[in-house]
Amino acid sequence: MAATSMAAALAASLPAPSAAPAVAAPTYEAIPASMSKVIDIEADIPLTCVQLDGMVVTKIVKHAREAPSTTAHGLLLGLDLDGTLEISNSFPLPHHSGDEADKNTKSIARHQASMLRSLKEVQADDSVVGFYQATTLGAFFNQALVDTQAIHQEKLRHGGIVLVHDLSQTARGNASFRAYRLTAAFLDAYKKSNFSTTRRIASSLINHRLTFSSILEEVPLKIRTNPLLSAFLGTLTESKRPTLSPDSTATTATVSALGPSFSVLDLGTAGVTRNLEQIVEAVDNYRTEEGNFSYLCRQIARERGKAENYIAKRKEENQGRVAQGLAPLPEEDVTRLFKIPPEPSRLESLLLLGQIDAYGKSLARTASTGLVKMYATKASSVV
Amino acid sequence: MSLGPSSSAIHVQGTSTTDSAHNLPRTPTKITIHPVALFSILDHYLRRGESQDRVIGTLLGTRFENEVDVRSSFAVLHSETTEQVAVDMDYHRTMYELHHKVNPKEVIVGWYSTGSNLNTYSALIQNFYSQETAPNQAIHVAVNTGVEEGQEAGVRAFISSPVGVFPKPENCVFVPVPVELRFHDGERSGLDLLTSAAGSSTSTASQPIADVEILERSILTVSEMLDRVLSYVHEVLVGKKKGDPAIGRYLMDTLGASTDDLEKGGFNASLQDTLMISYLANLVRSQAEVSSRLALTTSS
Repeated sequence: MAATSMAAALAASLPAPSAAPAVAAPTYEAIPASMSKVIDIEADIPLTCVQLDGMVVTKIVKHAREAPSTTAHGLLLGLDLDGTLEISNSFPLPHHSGDEADKNTKSIARHQASMLRSLKEVQADDSVVGFYQATTLGAFFNQALVDTQAIHQEKLRHGGIVLVHDLSQTARGNASFRAYRLTAAFLDAYKKSNFSTTRRIASSLINHRLTFSSILEEVPLKIRTNPLLSAFLGTLTESKRPTLSPDSTATTATVSALGPSFSVLDLGTAGVTRNLEQIVEAVDNYRTEEGNFSYLCRQIARERGKAENYIAKRKEENQGRVAQGLAPLPEEDVTRLFKIPPEPSRLESLLLLGQIDAYGKSLARTASTGLVKMYATKASSVV
Repeated sequence: MSLGPSSSAIHVQGTSTTDSAHNLPRTPTKITIHPVALFSILDHYLRRGESQDRVIGTLLGTRFENEVDVRSSFAVLHSETTEQVAVDMDYHRTMYELHHKVNPKEVIVGWYSTGSNLNTYSALIQNFYSQETAPNQAIHVAVNTGVEEGQEAGVRAFISSPVGVFPKPENCVFVPVPVELRFHDGERSGLDLLTSAAGSSTSTASQPIADVEILERSILTVSEMLDRVLSYVHEVLVGKKKGDPAIGRYLMDTLGASTDDLEKGGFNASLQDTLMISYLANLVRSQAEVSSRLALTTSS
């Protein structure tokens, strides 16, 4: 429940999709001819690419690592220009503990509003363009994410994006950021909010051909460092070039600016156990969900059977009465007599399958790099 | 390793044992900065107004004994003219509360400014921040962005002490303190990503990068290092260079690691394990795929 309420709070505090902030400067200057093609006030140019600023990268990495739970999330701020969404800033949202959900949503909304106001004062970008979410082992599919993004996609200019940061992969030496948005098909099905497959109710899942892989579409992502940051990083790495002198020993490398890092070469397989455990857990959850689903299906079938029996009996009786020359009994509304439960939503199991797939993918990746590493060590021991 | 240009200042270590006995707040003797704080300062500098020479802001972080660890920073509005300096304190408090809610461990430790000139206003601002951080001392971090000609980019940190017979807020001595860049090992890859982006000609790097690619880079670096060590050893053996015993010991420690385990069938065993895991992962994925497709089939 906390998840949906969080989404609601986010939505409540979002500003209405404003006209292009770049253009709506208080002075109302005419757009220069060179820019008129790339600035779109009506948000007509579709997003083709997301560009992430270097500062946001470090901010997210830090927040994700320090957050008390694995689900660190925050908002992304920026602008879009000629189909490229430039994310120039971000700020974390407070972690909510689950209880007192109502109070939490209000405080998050307040937090967000005052943060945006404050950022505006120091001339930082203050238009929300999406949110980020930390995840472990690539499994980021969950109800909260989908709910929040569905709200964003309606409210924000260009629909906003989700930025997913994989914590475990970053720890393994490959900082991973991916940008996603909901597919049109999924959003359509989500709005009608039925994820059932049976024939009676519009079988949206089938009509939209939804599998877990078609819930989100990935938007290409680029990391950009502004010239000042590039220059600064340049001086950092330049002056610390490792030399083969006894002064620059390995002990200072961990705290020094930027020596070479070899966390990628770690042969340990500690992560694999965790990964396997999580797969098993996800599969278990899926089994439970399927169990619930088939139970509900059986119940629906039973109720429906009862209702049909009733109708058939009534018809037979009426036929008998007509034959005897009596007035037929009225055909009552069966729906009032028998409560047919609503079709169960398949969204949950869809998301769980997506999780299983993501865990599988990250396991496969670990295994493949593991093989390379093993042969690399083997080669060194043979020579 | 120090972040800024090397200075000739002596860093006098306070007698820490007596300090703790009196239970007084200690004088910071070492300051570490997280990249986030640094990059935020640079970003703030980029977004400064036309009339602004420098920007200032608050540093948040943690204190541990004599060390101050700066974890993040936020911009603060201020204006400087020849006559006066004004800092928006309400803004500072609001922002601090907002940050504090998200990360309660981080407290105000001091302030930053860009550029490396310390003047009367610096002393006044320092005085203000000292009240905020009392009873601990406020630190001041001066980030030189390297934009002005003839100045190298760098970071310097100071603590202050009052000066004069009658200490006045506009007078103080800024004492330099050594400063280091510090981040968690897990955050290292994020920085690597940024350096690779900064190094490319368009200063962009596309994501995601395959694990194998990064692995390849690392292995190449290792083999390059081995080559360098090898050529050094050859030169020493031939007699071109004089061998350094310290390097010799390091090499022995590093390269002397035993690989017996691998040769005794350990390799094959873990090869089988890895292959098994790879097989399992693919099995799970195809099952999930099949299952999601089956959900789409109609019973008719």
